[in-house]
Amino acid sequence: MIEAHQLRKCFKIYKSKKGTLGSMLSLFSGEYEEKNAVDSISFKINEGEFVGYIGPNGAGKSTTIKMLSGILHPTSGKVTVLGIDPQKHRKKLAQRIGIVFGQRTQLWWDLPVKDSFEILKHMYKIEDRAYQKFLKHYDDLLDIGQFLHTPVRKLSLGQRMRADLAAAMIHNPPVLFLDEPTIGLDIVAKHKIRDFLQEMNKAEKKTVILTTHDMDDIEQLCSRVIVINQGRKILDGTLEKLRTHIGLPSILTVTYEYLPKPNELEGIERAECTGRKCTIVYDRSKISSPVLLREISKWGTPLDIQMTEPDIEEVIQNIY
Amino acid sequence: MKLYIKLVSASIRSRMQYKMNFIFSMVSYGVIMMIDFVLLAAILNRFGQIKGWNIYEVGILYAISSISLSLYRTLAPELHEFEKYIIEGEFDSLLIRPVSPLVLLLSKNLDLSRIGGILQGILILCLSLYGLSQEQELIYIAAYLPVILVCGCAISYSLALFTATLAFWTQRIKDFQTFTLYAPFNAANYPMNIYPGWLKMIFFTVIPVAFINYVPMLYLLQKGGSLYFLLLPIFVAALFFYVSLKFWNYGIQFYHSTGT
Amino acid sequence: MVYWLLFRKSFSRNMQYRLSHLINNAASAIFGFVYIAIWSAVLTGKEQNSPFSIMDMTFYMGASQCILWMTVFLTAGLGIQLGVRNGSISLELARPTNYFFYITSQEAGRIGYNALFRSLPIGLIFTITVGFYIPAHLPTYGYTLLSVLLAVGISLNIFYLIGISSCWTTEISWAHFINLTLMFSLGGQMVPLTFLPGPLSLVAEWLPFAGVVYYPVMIFLEKASLSVLLIQAGWFLVLLLLNQWITFLARQKIEIQGG
Repeated sequence: MIEAHQLRKCFKIYKSKKGTLGSMLSLFSGEYEEKNAVDSISFKINEGEFVGYIGPNGAGKSTTIKMLSGILHPTSGKVTVLGIDPQKHRKKLAQRIGIVFGQRTQLWWDLPVKDSFEILKHMYKIEDRAYQKFLKHYDDLLDIGQFLHTPVRKLSLGQRMRADLAAAMIHNPPVLFLDEPTIGLDIVAKHKIRDFLQEMNKAEKKTVILTTHDMDDIEQLCSRVIVINQGRKILDGTLEKLRTHIGLPSILTVTYEYLPKPNELEGIERAECTGRKCTIVYDRSKISSPVLLREISKWGTPLDIQMTEPDIEEVIQNIY
Repeated sequence: MKLYIKLVSASIRSRMQYKMNFIFSMVSYGVIMMIDFVLLAAILNRFGQIKGWNIYEVGILYAISSISLSLYRTLAPELHEFEKYIIEGEFDSLLIRPVSPLVLLLSKNLDLSRIGGILQGILILCLSLYGLSQEQELIYIAAYLPVILVCGCAISYSLALFTATLAFWTQRIKDFQTFTLYAPFNAANYPMNIYPGWLKMIFFTVIPVAFINYVPMLYLLQKGGSLYFLLLPIFVAALFFYVSLKFWNYGIQFYHSTGT
Repeated sequence: MVYWLLFRKSFSRNMQYRLSHLINNAASAIFGFVYIAIWSAVLTGKEQNSPFSIMDMTFYMGASQCILWMTVFLTAGLGIQLGVRNGSISLELARPTNYFFYITSQEAGRIGYNALFRSLPIGLIFTITVGFYIPAHLPTYGYTLLSVLLAVGISLNIFYLIGISSCWTTEISWAHFINLTLMFSLGGQMVPLTFLPGPLSLVAEWLPFAGVVYYPVMIFLEKASLSVLLIQAGWFLVLLLLNQWITFLARQKIEIQGG
């Protein structure tokens, strides 16, 4: 359904970037460095899959998504999405995919959400009945009804993201590209969005590609993970495979009332105590958080507990 | 078309929140352009005519050139500000739609304050036509003016499109615009026969502003043009629009959006 | 000296863009050529009725295109309105430097840059293509320098006045437009003031706008008496004092509001 074959995107980085003439001259003089933002990436994604596309900043995630959707032209290689060549038939493809960029809204900033939807309705040539159904359906799923008449600029980040997601679904596309849809959101908002995405994938059988920095997004949503670093694919498989490959060390910091007595425990990789404060590094695939919490409370009476999620950047670095 | 109207009305609604500013800028654009012409009139008043063109005739050239440019600035302000789409990576959001990005750019905004420039042009046009009406039959000029203005607007749009396409390589285009739009259109305010050969060469070929007003007016004002001069603007406008569009479609594949 | 430092910083900030400005210079020269062409067309066969010959006019247009970059194409409101909008002006007013000189010395750095990388190249283009005036008398160079400095001073003051007015009006774009129009028309950039209709020309010669373009060019072309320097100096002083007073008012207003 989505296929990339030996996909490569090479950016030319000109030596002198300042000023019009400067970049013009360097254009002609040909003095530039070449950098492969995406380097011979191949994958095949089947209908109904939920794929997490992850990697550190600048790894080429967005560049890949933009090539899949026809925004960028690959330097070499081949892409097909739903049997369509995104570069040759960009507009045709746009009618069949939904895209959300978390960093940037695609709604009309000064207009009420509803007006944006109506514009999109005309843009995608959607029938009145289908449109009414859409409004009803997404009010159920995302509660967009409560801010339908508010200008986009007055929405909270979470509301805006829900509106953006609904907007991307207006033409009921079978494929969704989501570029960091949970970035900057609070926990409650993230939950709402995850539930929604799960619903889209499970109930409506949509194929989703998601880039994110949030490990929870991946754990809760993705059936498959593709990891890239510096433009190259370094892992492609199930979440289990990612886990066994790198482990998912989480960190718990506990402050006790009195000096604690730590015990060895299956799943705890490391426990360092200085005075009343303990830092515990554990593997979530081997020990669940509630079990761990129960165990460590046997060490003493905890006053304060802080949990630090594994940082995706570090995780990816660990693979190397 | 329905989509265009929908989009444009949306943009107007969102702009209307800044009414005072709008009225001020509309008036000031008009006044600035008017003063420029008043100065020209002062010169011509003193010296009679300029290489065989009297004040009214120059006025018609002046009006057509400034209406054409103002029409373009009213209809396509986002194309004019295209570099911001490239620098801020906003062009992405135009490329994910099932509609041509040029249509989206056109419909994104109407700069109504530029209507001041159009009104000023129409005023000069009317004054000039009135002045000329003592001497000659004007019915043909008046009848053909709409065609001339549409072609003029198309030529300025094509030039702007060509300039905007450069942004795919150079990011910034403001400096080019002075070269391809402001300076040539300022030159087209006056009859082409006053310019030295090399400047004329430019205005008849690569930046074809001569066809916006000078060429058709040579015939309509009986200054030695032939009948087919009337068709040249249509031909040139179509050709330049086609070339610019091709160039744009070629340039678009060099778009490298700024990664998020 | 802090103002000299600001001047230099602003100068080098502009240096980054010098190549793109060179393209713009070519366009600027084309504007000049267009005006020269208009005047030669108008004056052909009528030179005896005119105080300017075609050659004079060519020199005049060349010189005025050069000076525009030092006195007319300044930053709108010298950027003061931005500080007013985001509130940073109250901080800047509180600094131990004189706010007026703090703002103007930065702009002066930009003007210094423009003189070297815009006015000079444009002048060179005219020198090569249509010729550039070379004053015969040595003192003229000194007087021209003085007149240009006064012109820059007047212009900085006018732009500052517009900028600081944003403390009361917030929106200055229309004032900026009006000022540019006046500088273009009554400054004599396209039409030397003597060619304006009688009464208008008389009034224009006494206005500050004449001191921004017209007088420096006329002094350079050795077509004006030195007394015009007095008109320039007079306006410079008046505007300077006015601005100090208005800055004082602005400080009071902002201190009261900010408290």
